[in-house]
Amino acid sequence: MGSSGVLADSTTTEVADLSSANPYSLHRTAHARRSEYVRPHRIRIKVGTWNVAACPGTDKDLARWFVDGEGLDPALGSSKPSDDGGPVEHELHNGSPRDASPIELADGGKIGLYVLGLQEVNVLTAPSQYMTWIYAADDSTMGKWKAALEAAIPPDYQLVVAEQLAGLLLLAYASPEIAPTISNVSTISVGTGALGYLGNKGAVCTRIVLGEVTQLLFVNSHLASGVEDYYLERRINQAQQIVNQARFEPIVISGVSEEEKTKIGDEDFAFWFGDLNFRLDRLPGDDIRRLLMLHTRGEYDLSKRELRRENSLEGEPIVVRCSSDSSDEVMDRDPDRKPQNKPDDKAVENQAADDDSVNLPDPDDFPQDPQEDPASLQATLSSLLPHDQLRRLIKERKVFHEGWREGPITFLPTYKYDVGTVALFDSSEKRRPPSWCDRILYRTRKDMERYMTKVKEEEEARKKDEEMKARGIEEAADDDILFSYDPENDSEEHPTPKVAEYDEYNEAEDGGDDQSPDQADHDTIHLDLYTSHQRITSSDHKPVSSIFTLDYDAVVPELKSKVHAEVARALDRAENEGRPGITIVADHHPRGAAWRSGSDAPAHVDFGEAVFLRKYTSTLTLANTSGVPAKLSFIEKPMTNELGDGDAAEIQWLTTCFVHSEAADDDTESVDLGKEVTLEPGETLNAVLDAQITDIVHARMLNEGQPTLEEVLVLRVTDGRDHFITVRASWAPTCIGRSVDELIRVPEGGIRAFARSLIEAKARAGAIPYDLPIHRPAPKELFRLTEAIETTTQRVIADAQMLEDCTVPSDPGWPFDEAACKSTDVDTRTSHIISLLDALDQDQALPSAFAPEIPALHRLEALAQTLVLFLRGLTDGIVPTALWNRIDQAVPSIPSLANPASLPADEATLDNDRTTVLDILQSAPHHNICFVFLTTTLARVVAELAPLSKADLATLRGNEASLLAGTAAAARGGGPGAAIGGVLSGVGRRSLGFVRKAGSGGTPVVAAWAALEKRRARERRVSEVFGGLVCRGQSAGGTSGERRAGEARRRAVMELFLRQKLE
Amino acid sequence: MADSSAPKPSSSVKLVLLGEAAVGKSSLVLRFVNNDFQENKEPTIGAAFLTQKCNLPTRTIKFEIWDTAGQERFASLAPMYYRNAQAALVVYDLTKPTSLIKAKHWVAELQRQASPGIVIALVGNKLDLTEDGTGSGGDAEDAGGEDSGDARKISTEEAKTYAEEEGLLFFETSAKTGFNVTEVFTAIANAIPETSLKTARGPGASHAAARTEEQRVNLNGPRDPNAKEGCAC
Repeated sequence: MGSSGVLADSTTTEVADLSSANPYSLHRTAHARRSEYVRPHRIRIKVGTWNVAACPGTDKDLARWFVDGEGLDPALGSSKPSDDGGPVEHELHNGSPRDASPIELADGGKIGLYVLGLQEVNVLTAPSQYMTWIYAADDSTMGKWKAALEAAIPPDYQLVVAEQLAGLLLLAYASPEIAPTISNVSTISVGTGALGYLGNKGAVCTRIVLGEVTQLLFVNSHLASGVEDYYLERRINQAQQIVNQARFEPIVISGVSEEEKTKIGDEDFAFWFGDLNFRLDRLPGDDIRRLLMLHTRGEYDLSKRELRRENSLEGEPIVVRCSSDSSDEVMDRDPDRKPQNKPDDKAVENQAADDDSVNLPDPDDFPQDPQEDPASLQATLSSLLPHDQLRRLIKERKVFHEGWREGPITFLPTYKYDVGTVALFDSSEKRRPPSWCDRILYRTRKDMERYMTKVKEEEEARKKDEEMKARGIEEAADDDILFSYDPENDSEEHPTPKVAEYDEYNEAEDGGDDQSPDQADHDTIHLDLYTSHQRITSSDHKPVSSIFTLDYDAVVPELKSKVHAEVARALDRAENEGRPGITIVADHHPRGAAWRSGSDAPAHVDFGEAVFLRKYTSTLTLANTSGVPAKLSFIEKPMTNELGDGDAAEIQWLTTCFVHSEAADDDTESVDLGKEVTLEPGETLNAVLDAQITDIVHARMLNEGQPTLEEVLVLRVTDGRDHFITVRASWAPTCIGRSVDELIRVPEGGIRAFARSLIEAKARAGAIPYDLPIHRPAPKELFRLTEAIETTTQRVIADAQMLEDCTVPSDPGWPFDEAACKSTDVDTRTSHIISLLDALDQDQALPSAFAPEIPALHRLEALAQTLVLFLRGLTDGIVPTALWNRIDQAVPSIPSLANPASLPADEATLDNDRTTVLDILQSAPHHNICFVFLTTTLARVVAELAPLSKADLATLRGNEASLLAGTAAAARGGGPGAAIGGVLSGVGRRSLGFVRKAGSGGTPVVAAWAALEKRRARERRVSEVFGGLVCRGQSAGGTSGERRAGEARRRAVMELFLRQKLE
Repeated sequence: MADSSAPKPSSSVKLVLLGEAAVGKSSLVLRFVNNDFQENKEPTIGAAFLTQKCNLPTRTIKFEIWDTAGQERFASLAPMYYRNAQAALVVYDLTKPTSLIKAKHWVAELQRQASPGIVIALVGNKLDLTEDGTGSGGDAEDAGGEDSGDARKISTEEAKTYAEEEGLLFFETSAKTGFNVTEVFTAIANAIPETSLKTARGPGASHAAARTEEQRVNLNGPRDPNAKEGCAC
């Protein structure tokens, strides 16, 4: 590996990442690019809250205040209406500072989302009703309010949320443009009433997702009522309980679900509204009433009032004198008034953006306020607001402190009025002090984050402070000043402990800072309106409504699908490129050009003409052209062919192995790298394909034209693709695997040319038809082989006499018994055999097949083995089965075969037996000729190899008489010497001993006998080799005993003919 | 089994092509190996691999050609391909100045990271787009000076000077017309030092080293380094 190790590793890591590609990673990758498909959008949301106090007819008023924006009384604190959409549109066209980038305003300025929260839609009179409301949906109430709202809003608005918890009702409708972008609506009710669960108090909360990105939260709550501190605590607790308990379903975007439920605080924009029931602290109720009454009766502000026109278009019940000047409907609908509205709108914006003016009721601020007239209603309201419990608690971080904001309150307290009146506070005996019970709070994610940051910083400061303090104590334990120091009263030097004061102080400083988020981000909110509808008189609460303009991020579906498609493509590509891949180059392409596997066409290897036994090698160069290591292997296919199972293994003619590239370059012995190899990127190796037809059965099939030499190798790259390599070769017809009857029909020129001419004629390979003329009495191959064997044997003998380093192997089977062929190794001999077969098939003289320097010994072995191969390959055999059966049947009349262990001793019997056999073979003359020719030649070869000199013969003849006597005795005894057979069949150790005695220790006799023994041994062994090759028959059938007997008889027949007369 | 043709010593040479995307690396190889040219060739993915034999008077060289992808996203793969390479073709586009800068980067990287003794050829391709591209051919150096209104952006002189400084072979070619393509490979084949042939490459190196000795004995007669001999392609 060396230097590439690091590279390979890094690549692997990359691949591992890619391989883990799944829908989630697609989602994640696409998500990472979401800036490409998320665009800023703008929506106007109208939020309304109203405690209807279960009053009849409240639903009839709904449309007027909530949808039409009526019922405002500018004189009584509803002096900042801007809900006609004008200011916002105007702002857009002029390009406000927030419009640095184009913002898509959904719905073109109209309200995109109406969210209505109602309280006390039912009055709880009896405990039994609790149960009803809790366990049975009050369809009639819900239906009534839905109908009322649907009648008011444009008909194409779609219901988003409708949820009721006892007296709490939450409805939301979206414009047709917005509705399709809303998803993941999850609504939850939190009951905080009696027992902590019942629904007379509590909240209905809804979480929705806008444009797949922006989470909105709406909470409509009704908190505990009551003026006493005890109830204040309950309100605080209930608010906390709602935050703690509200859990929304996990958000699902594009089918991928987030793991956790969302909660209050996870959203981008939150709106919390309802009858929060916070009161005015530490002010006697009557004082408030009196103070406000001055305004409602018009004691102040006379000049302005006179300018107003009388307007009773709506026919509102006018109870309070000052209400006669109401003209808000006209103002709302008159587009000419837009310019006038604008400063107001700006004022709202300033106030909304700048917490100081909202949260700080410091009278010092008011002189800067546009409404600096101390006699104005706003001045009065501002003097009351410091007593508002909610505002105080927010500052004290007791409730709604986590970034919640509220618009400036410019309207009269919303509670409690006499039903049917405008601005007439509770005239009943209870004379409940007026208060701002009904509120709309909101916050952005940034608001909350800023709060969190602040708390964290304070915490750190506090810790630091404590550390310093602790150190200070240690260092100056006796210093009284430290102990007398009261941090609560000295916030300037130590601003930590007192939360409220610190907060105030800090916010004053942070005035500029608060505006930055609006500029930094599109997730901005703009309060367009926060007002109550004084002239709605059907409940003892006045409804409160707000219009918000939100700049939010939303997915643009077309962009998203485009990005998704790109990401999917990129992931696919990365995955494919991360896969291992190789290029195959077939080096020995027939056309000489290197072939590449880049194309889809399979690699192709053509071995050309394949000759029997010859090994053909083709090399493929495999190069890893991918970026990762590739594991390669050839797939072992199950062999499928038309042949029986038994033949399947035999016709395996193609083998593959992997070797190093260098080895293939210079034909040196290559190391097989095993079935599976791993190839590093940038490296090559070779796949060596060897084709070799070694099986005679296969050769016979190929001679007959079945099957063809075609294969498709499958080279598999693990985790990559399969490469297909087609391999083919064309069979060179041969004499091996033919019948005698075919071969005798082969004319001059050899079988190969003849078979080709037949193939051309018939367009198909096959056996040589038996209706063709016979050209010779026996196969020429047999003549050539036997002739060459005979002459070569003579040469071997001559060499053995002439050359010191040449001796004739003593093994009796040599050179026909392959095991005895030791002068040449198998490969060399095989190459000689291939050359011989080539010569035979092309009708060339056999000696030409050998290079001149090949020793005769080697030649003889090759020739002998070729003869064996030829005979084995004959489909019918020299003595076909039918003939052999007849010989078998005639055995009783053939003494030589009847007792195959040893041939009869007398020449007459032997001659007789030969004649009998030849008579039977006579019926197949060509086979007869072959048989005689073969046996005669073999006999001569044996005689050459185991010569008996004239002297030997004379010696033997001289002793013949005495031998015969001894033989007879020995034959009867059937001793071990029987194995020698023939004339000496009876000569055992005993008879040899007799011979030696008879010869009086004379050497010539011993030598003669030894030579004769050798001759007989060769005859026997050669007969064994050829018996089965020459004589066919069902050797497979019968018992093993019968088979052995059959083999013995075949051998005996050969031996019968190999035995020559001693002369 | 011995081949009838007189066996010349044969050896493999690993050659890598580097260069900016779309300078014509694959086209050069295609011209060299198949004597073919394709307009609007698809970009190479990862790498391509081809072999081609080159017959020299005294030996046969089998080029194992690693044609790398020029696109930047495949740049990290290049070291795997030039590892153990004995030769490199660094290709630039005569009509695109940035491609020469990229080529210089490759040369520097090769000199730093690749096998010492690697033979590097600097090849300016797309000569057919220049005035002298279709001309008489042989003396591109003379023609280099007269950049009169053709698409050539890199003068022969500039590239040649650089190549000489760095000790690189230098050619201007046209894969489209085939001009000078074979010459590049032949020059590389001739420039490969005998000793670097058959040097260790992966496992089995000792084997190869042993054979080097054998070959030296067999190589009789001094090889003419200037022999101009075409490749058998």
